[in-house]
Amino acid sequence: MVKSTTKDAQDLFRSLRSAYVATPTNLKLIDMYVCFAVFTALIQVAYMALVGSFPFNSFLSGVLSCIGTAVLAVCLRIQVNKENKEFKDLAPERAFADFVLCNIVLHLIIINFLG
Amino acid sequence: MMILSRSVALISLFLLPLLTFSFSVDNPTDRRVLVLLDDLSLKSSHSIFFNTLKSRGFDLDFKLAEDPKLALQRYGQYLYDGLIIFAPSTERLGGSLDSKSIADFVDSGRDLILSADTSASDLIRGIATECGVDFDEDSSAMVIDHTSFSASDVDGDHTLIAADDLVKSDVILGKAKIEAPVLFRGVAHSLNPTNNLVLKVLSASPSAYSANPSSKLSSPPQLTGSAISLVSVMQARNNARVVISGSLQLFSDRLIRSGVQKAGSPNQYEKSGNEQFVTELSKWVFHERGHLKAGSLVHHRVGETDEPAIYRIKDDLEFSVEIYEWSGKSWEPYVANDVQVQFYMMSPYVLKTLSTDKKGLFHTSFKVPDVYGVFQFKVEYEKLGYTTLSLSKQIPVRPYRHNEYERFIPTAYPYYGACFTTMAGFFVFSFVYLYHK
Repeated sequence: MVKSTTKDAQDLFRSLRSAYVATPTNLKLIDMYVCFAVFTALIQVAYMALVGSFPFNSFLSGVLSCIGTAVLAVCLRIQVNKENKEFKDLAPERAFADFVLCNIVLHLIIINFLG
Repeated sequence: MMILSRSVALISLFLLPLLTFSFSVDNPTDRRVLVLLDDLSLKSSHSIFFNTLKSRGFDLDFKLAEDPKLALQRYGQYLYDGLIIFAPSTERLGGSLDSKSIADFVDSGRDLILSADTSASDLIRGIATECGVDFDEDSSAMVIDHTSFSASDVDGDHTLIAADDLVKSDVILGKAKIEAPVLFRGVAHSLNPTNNLVLKVLSASPSAYSANPSSKLSSPPQLTGSAISLVSVMQARNNARVVISGSLQLFSDRLIRSGVQKAGSPNQYEKSGNEQFVTELSKWVFHERGHLKAGSLVHHRVGETDEPAIYRIKDDLEFSVEIYEWSGKSWEPYVANDVQVQFYMMSPYVLKTLSTDKKGLFHTSFKVPDVYGVFQFKVEYEKLGYTTLSLSKQIPVRPYRHNEYERFIPTAYPYYGACFTTMAGFFVFSFVYLYHK
């Protein structure tokens, strides 16, 4: 029984990996960016758990900049993915322009709130 | 016009010596003393005491207590700076004097020496009660002590007491220790224990009691032991000083000159401690010792000299005050190590003992506490035998202005780093996304 579940897990993992390899490069780039942003956010949460939340505004500012930019990247990925029928008519340049604009506004707010 | 100005100049010339000898705050030299006697022979029987006063520069004015021309004030000005009442049997004072005018005299800051004796009248008892001292109600009672009497007591009823229970105060009794016991013969008085302005200078021994020496005791005496005070002093809140003694003979030449030996003690002294005791006590009561004057409180930030109008929390400040003591002729710097300053707002946030430079300047420095509000620098100095100093100066303390906080908080450096890293990451990502193949 154990041997078959391990074999099933390995088969599942292999199929997921082969499917992912087939995705276009730009989407993989966006995925890397999202991972980087979430990783930065997790480091900050760990640091806060260590020293306490003294300048709470700085903590929020740091974490929300990472999470915000990750969320915007996920939106970009959804809009740019050609397999997505909902955004078939949206030009990918328009999506990217939205992404850049929202990020600029986000970082403006973040720097203001950083103290 | 010329004649008027010349007569004014002449009059002021005559008044000048009077002005230099009168009482003023800068020059607290009590000079003019009225001495009320009920018997003019006291002038000669107490001559040693009066001569010690005269030799120190006092102008003694001897009058009979019932003299109808007695007056302490004329046209609202006091004629005398001190009063000595050696008239224990006087029922009514002459002239415009009564116990109320004497109470007003002390209220004006002037000093009093009051002595009762075996026949103390109600008037004298009343004046003493005004000062917080209660004589024994029995008018025929005297202080009797069967273990501390003087061996030279001729009457044999043990009323001549050799007392050596003196208060331990260098300022009231002088630096030199009074070796010989003090001879006392008179009435007892007691002090209210809740009254913190009166003080026992000479107390009776624990075996003393107050009773009529010529009759048998029918009930236990009311005043006994160390609760009996033989000589007390009172320093009023306006720093007027009063000495109340239960014995007029304490000041007399006879007891001053006589030798003393306490019964049961092998020590025999050629001269009793009376002269030293009354001399030192009179020095204290007439402000020749223990009279303090304080200059204004000075405070400023460390490194500055001007007094700021407002402090900020956690400022470093320096505080100083000058205190001088009157030596009888001039103001000498006061030296002590227990003057304290409080930084007070409803309760003292900072209490520091001031250090002295031995030239009268007391200083310290401390950090303003982390509380804002309106504070006071308070110096409340109440030492036994010294005048009370009660000084205060108000100063507000403000919190940090918005630009006085630290600009970058060190604990938040990782968050600053994360924000800028994310921005850099976004910049790099957008480049790569746009120009990849």
